[in-house]
Amino acid sequence: MSQLSNIIRLSFRDYSHEWRMSGCFIFALSSVLAPMMILFGLKFGIVSTMVDGLVENPSNREIRPIGSGRYTEQWIEDYRNRGDIEFIIPKTRALAATIQLKSESATRILSTELLATASNDPLLAGMQQIPANYNQVILSQSAAKKLKVEAGQQIDASLARQFQGKRERVHLPVTVIDIASAAVTSRNVAFVNLDLLVATEQFKDGREVPELGWEGDSDGAAMRTFPSFRLYARSIYDVDTIVADLEKKGVRVKANVAEIETVQSIDQNLSIIFWIIACVGAAGFAFSLGASLWANVDRKGKELSVLRLIGFKSSVIVLFPVLQSCYTAILGWLMAVLIYLAFEQLINRFLAPRLNLDGTLCYLLAEHFFWALALTIITAIISAILGGLRISSIEPSDGLRDL
Amino acid sequence: MTVVYSLKNVVKERINDGVGYRLQVPDIQIKAQEHVALVGHSGCGKSTLLDMLALILHPDQSDDFKLDPVDGKHYDIDKLWHRRRQSRLSQIRKQHIGYVLQSGGLLPYLTVRENIELPRKLLNLADDDSINSIARVLGINRQLDKLPGLLSAGERQRAAFARALSHRPSILLADEPTASLDPITARKIMAVVMELIKGLKITLITASHDWAHVYKMDLRTLHQEAAAVENGRIYQSIFRD
Repeated sequence: MSQLSNIIRLSFRDYSHEWRMSGCFIFALSSVLAPMMILFGLKFGIVSTMVDGLVENPSNREIRPIGSGRYTEQWIEDYRNRGDIEFIIPKTRALAATIQLKSESATRILSTELLATASNDPLLAGMQQIPANYNQVILSQSAAKKLKVEAGQQIDASLARQFQGKRERVHLPVTVIDIASAAVTSRNVAFVNLDLLVATEQFKDGREVPELGWEGDSDGAAMRTFPSFRLYARSIYDVDTIVADLEKKGVRVKANVAEIETVQSIDQNLSIIFWIIACVGAAGFAFSLGASLWANVDRKGKELSVLRLIGFKSSVIVLFPVLQSCYTAILGWLMAVLIYLAFEQLINRFLAPRLNLDGTLCYLLAEHFFWALALTIITAIISAILGGLRISSIEPSDGLRDL
Repeated sequence: MTVVYSLKNVVKERINDGVGYRLQVPDIQIKAQEHVALVGHSGCGKSTLLDMLALILHPDQSDDFKLDPVDGKHYDIDKLWHRRRQSRLSQIRKQHIGYVLQSGGLLPYLTVRENIELPRKLLNLADDDSINSIARVLGINRQLDKLPGLLSAGERQRAAFARALSHRPSILLADEPTASLDPITARKIMAVVMELIKGLKITLITASHDWAHVYKMDLRTLHQEAAAVENGRIYQSIFRD
């Protein structure tokens, strides 16, 4: 323990005594590490900004079925329980999924598309309330504008059918609980509870909806199926797998695969470029540090021999260059971080606006800094082992008379 | 008096392609508190023998190599070398041996005080006034907080003696400690050191090529006899009383 604490003290004293030489090592390391960090920051920032853009827009994660099918509630439930799916909800036939809306403030009756919604709907992310019963609705901005309504107002929803030769119309008072942003859709859409969507289809098909007092033929015990669904993957990287899985099951679907593939390909290509540069840089750094340490052991042969003469064990003296490498690694990393942070500010403040890029062009997460430090220390220690091996091969009496 | 070093047929060779140098020690015994000088011209193997005595150089051959630094401690160095017990040898060295190099061998990044303290720290000896008192005796008490690079050659050698003696070893080895100094300074330093080691009852083995100086100091001398052997291809150096 005494030898260990003394060698730590001595290696640091020597390191600070030879501050010019140590400074050169630190500069050499940071001049390799800082550009790698900037490069990785750019790669990570650019790709993350693109990925964020794709993720923020739910339509990029939407997987749309082509044509109509027969999807049971159980089928929908099974997909809802998958980890790679964020949201799935059934859709009824397009013709049956329309409703007429009328407000007191507007003269026109607006024919509106109905979309079922539920909590976690990516289209309505951030909304405080989600329609929970037959009498609640969220309107798209286009529909709200045309109806001249605001959140909290009550409007009249009605739907008509031809039933047993007669034309019938039913009315349902609904409250506009919120209005979706314009980015969600430009169409006239009313987001409703799934029950209301199903009730609308049932009514139009001439069947009864006892919960709303709408008369018609009895529903019987037939298993309900849906012709379509609205599905969003959890991330853009899950889209491929879900598409492949659905197509395997005979469900033809459409997704923004091309755009996602472009981002993934940019990510992969930038990663390859980064790792090639990083590997060449790291190898260069490891060899230069190793060679410097090797030469340093020769230069310090006498001093290290004196330490042996005084009574330090060889195994402890081997730590001398290893510790000094660690000091270089930590200080070099620190300097590289400072250089990186300065460049990050420059790039994000001055370059990103010129390129008309939304988001951050260059940034790193805290864990990236940690990994850079860990890799630098490991590289430095591996390089220092060269110096250590050199020390262990020197006879204790060698070099004593050189100083 | 206890025999501190006992060497029989100890050989160290540096031979390449049959040409080189061989140091032989047929039979040497050095007693406790003796003051011995290894005398011979430059390159005759004095430093090599001192390194072997300091346990930092492995003899190539040895019938007997024993060290009894203090009463009750007996070490078979030959066995330790053969078993490659480097750590044990380091331990014996740091506890019982002080070594002064020709150039001092002070660590340039430590102050004189820290250099002198180092052997004591390795042995976990208490911080008493011994550093100051040994520095006073050697006349370097005002240089303790300076780096070695700021000292004169004479002061550096005094500091080297202080470091070698700070942990109170029973053996002091000195390799031409005053060779780089002017004769007056050399005599002054050696006079102080001799006083000190007599007081501390330390065994001294010093190497020197200066016969006159050795005779003045009244040291037991181990002479070197040189001969060219094996058709003149090997320079053989033998140390004996």
